[in-house]
Amino acid sequence: MKKIINKPEEYTDDMLRGIYAAHGDDVCCTADDLRCYCTAHKKEGKVAIITGGGTGHLPLFLGYVGDGLLDGCGVGGVFQSPSAEQIYNVAKEVEAGAGILFLYGNYTGDIMNFDMASELLAMEGIETKSIVGADDVNSNADHDKRRGVAGIFFMYKCAGAKAAEMGTLDEVLAAAQKAKDNTRTVGFALTPCVIPEVGHSNFTLGENEMAMGMGIHGEPGIWNGPVKTSKELAKESLDTILADMPLKDGDEVCVLINGLGATSQEELYILSGDVSEYLKAKGIKIHRTFVGEYATSMEMAGASISICKITDEEMRSQIDKPVYTPFYCQK
Amino acid sequence: MTEILCNELPALFQKVADKFMEKKEELCEMDAAMGDGDLGLTMSKGFSALPDIIKANCSDDIGMTLVKSGMKMASVVPSTMGTLMSSGIMNGGMALKGRTAIDASSLALYIRGFADGIQKRGKCKRGDRTILDAMLSAADKAEAVLSGNPEATLQGVMNAAVEGAKEGVEATKEMVPVFGKAAVFAAKAKGVPDQGATAAFYMLSGMQAYIDGTS
Repeated sequence: MKKIINKPEEYTDDMLRGIYAAHGDDVCCTADDLRCYCTAHKKEGKVAIITGGGTGHLPLFLGYVGDGLLDGCGVGGVFQSPSAEQIYNVAKEVEAGAGILFLYGNYTGDIMNFDMASELLAMEGIETKSIVGADDVNSNADHDKRRGVAGIFFMYKCAGAKAAEMGTLDEVLAAAQKAKDNTRTVGFALTPCVIPEVGHSNFTLGENEMAMGMGIHGEPGIWNGPVKTSKELAKESLDTILADMPLKDGDEVCVLINGLGATSQEELYILSGDVSEYLKAKGIKIHRTFVGEYATSMEMAGASISICKITDEEMRSQIDKPVYTPFYCQK
Repeated sequence: MTEILCNELPALFQKVADKFMEKKEELCEMDAAMGDGDLGLTMSKGFSALPDIIKANCSDDIGMTLVKSGMKMASVVPSTMGTLMSSGIMNGGMALKGRTAIDASSLALYIRGFADGIQKRGKCKRGDRTILDAMLSAADKAEAVLSGNPEATLQGVMNAAVEGAKEGVEATKEMVPVFGKAAVFAAKAKGVPDQGATAAFYMLSGMQAYIDGTS
């Protein structure tokens, strides 16, 4: 393991200290707990949107806390859920009188802890609604059992935009739901990643081997085999997505090409070009393409392709709405 | 004693912690045969932390005290069984919201709430060979005592709950596991009680020891 760290067990808290030192004008922590991450620009009367999840995926999850997006984030250790108490403390800090939307990935530990926090908040008269991202097509045939990966970005964008225009909790939830219903992701890994406290990777991939469908915590995919070309990966991934969410000639989509941590931007643009070509050949219009790191897995090499179908003008404007966080800026 | 006050909760749960300290090795061995092998550690660590957590969160509302303390305990033992136990305490506390003490009838409410909390969080049902089988059986027996005799004592309800849990543990010997790593070892499960159900029995036994000791 070669990493720029101090002690493996202090990886998460040291990272957070660095973030607060660099971006103290935009974010702060509450309850004397570094892992209770909140916006410094709280807006009264607005629905608060809170996310959370393990460390190791930056800019996911905390990187989307900022203007026009989310209000707070419970930060867990590497690949671990934040505690219910941390989520509760974040909620108490950012709640602004209009209720709270919990918006996070579909993982058992996170669900338990967000549910626990929401029960205590309910006892105190604070309303919460919850929705989980579950966009990873290859992780399960059953939509409700799919893992949440990079496609949650579109849920953040739509819900964040609705909340920013002072929508009600039900409206914000509906915006997130619509983005969820219309987003699918397929990902693949070329190299594993190392959890600092473990010190070595939990699995290996051969020199010329890749894993199609691998999750962002290294969950096994649907096949391991020789590395394919960008064109082949674009085709296989999009065929999987289109079989699950059919699109027809004239439909309009947003594309998200996401790097898993160690894949160069050059490679991401090669992939993006091939995705674009394949979609255009099918008569599918691309409204906007996002390329970069949106949901990583430490220093894993690989990428994911997310497609978000634009269903109406409101959704288009939500995705186009400018936002600013220390980790993500869109004009 | 006829009721347990908020400032007596730390002593109550200290007895539970003592019970788990005593049974730590046994639970770990049971768990190692079927799963992770850390069940005894989780239980003793979580319940040992609880008395101090309660002292720091004690208020007149014994229900809210339990809810907040349960959530804090979850941070101490973030594993699945730790989360389930914490959820049980939280949900048991919700059933007592606004009360200032635990008397005979509220003890039955607490145990039912505890079982419901586990069911809700773990998304399990009776017969799945889990901790729930002991807790539901305990809640049934506790309620039966009260419906048969509205004047039943705190001790009477507690004894019935422990008896019910024991029956629930026995029943798991014939159940096939469907959850977690235990499901992988299904063939080995026959004739052996479920370790989660056994933990529930010890938890209630610890509470019983407190009530017996002060009666």
